[in-house]
Amino acid sequence: MNRLDAAMTEPDDPDEGFDLVMDPKVQESIGRSLKAHYDDIVNAPVPDKFLVLLAQLEATEQRVSGVSRDESQ
Amino acid sequence: MSPSDTALAGRTETLAQERRTEDFKDGLIREIPNLRAFAASLSGSIQLADDLVQDTLLKAWGNSDKFEPGTSLRAWLFTILRNTYYSLYRKRGREVQDSEGTYAERMATHGNQESHLDLADFRKALAKLPEEQREVLIMVGATGLSYEEAAEICGVAIGTIKSRVNRARTKLAELLSIGSVDDLGPSHTNAAAMQRVGPESVGS
Repeated sequence: MNRLDAAMTEPDDPDEGFDLVMDPKVQESIGRSLKAHYDDIVNAPVPDKFLVLLAQLEATEQRVSGVSRDESQ
Repeated sequence: MSPSDTALAGRTETLAQERRTEDFKDGLIREIPNLRAFAASLSGSIQLADDLVQDTLLKAWGNSDKFEPGTSLRAWLFTILRNTYYSLYRKRGREVQDSEGTYAERMATHGNQESHLDLADFRKALAKLPEEQREVLIMVGATGLSYEEAAEICGVAIGTIKSRVNRARTKLAELLSIGSVDDLGPSHTNAAAMQRVGPESVGS
């Protein structure tokens, strides 16, 4: 707690005092919009190319470990 | 140990390794939507965001041995994504925004038409924030990361994160003209618009 309080103030931040008294309703409203923006993208369908990429990486790794296993025997 | 025992031990080790790889891959897949949302918030462009996510996945895969199991995979991936953005994408992001406008104007959204317009307004305001404020506001306000994790990802003190978040909120309120209590009244279009955005899109 004390440590956090001590770290609260950024030396180059003259607005700190003002920022801390922001109206909770305004803060809530911004919070909701922020989530709406973010979740809108989170909920968008994931392009197949990412799954394809990871499947390729995994297949390559298994092939490599398969090769080294064969060589060690 | 007989040769067959050695082979068996080798096979067991390989299976364990394959299992670890599989788990890591599943973890990455689960984080892709969050990586895209964070990347889009940083770069202001969904196309750039997807390039950035691809680079992040490649780097994460190549450095999987550096990830400590039990720690937050999301925080680890955000760190990689953020470093990649600042070292390679920042300039491109500005160029794309200049030539095509921000994703705020172009991106298809998945809410209804009404909330789409409000979301576009909010995104335009968000894009006007300084990067260092925008990134922490997103991390703390939308991704579920703690102030501590955000501080670690950005390599600054927790107090710095808190003051950046405060300044970001103040600036956003200013840009959206909702600086005072009176502005939140039902007659104010911007405030009313923002009220509509929330419940319909969040958690859908």
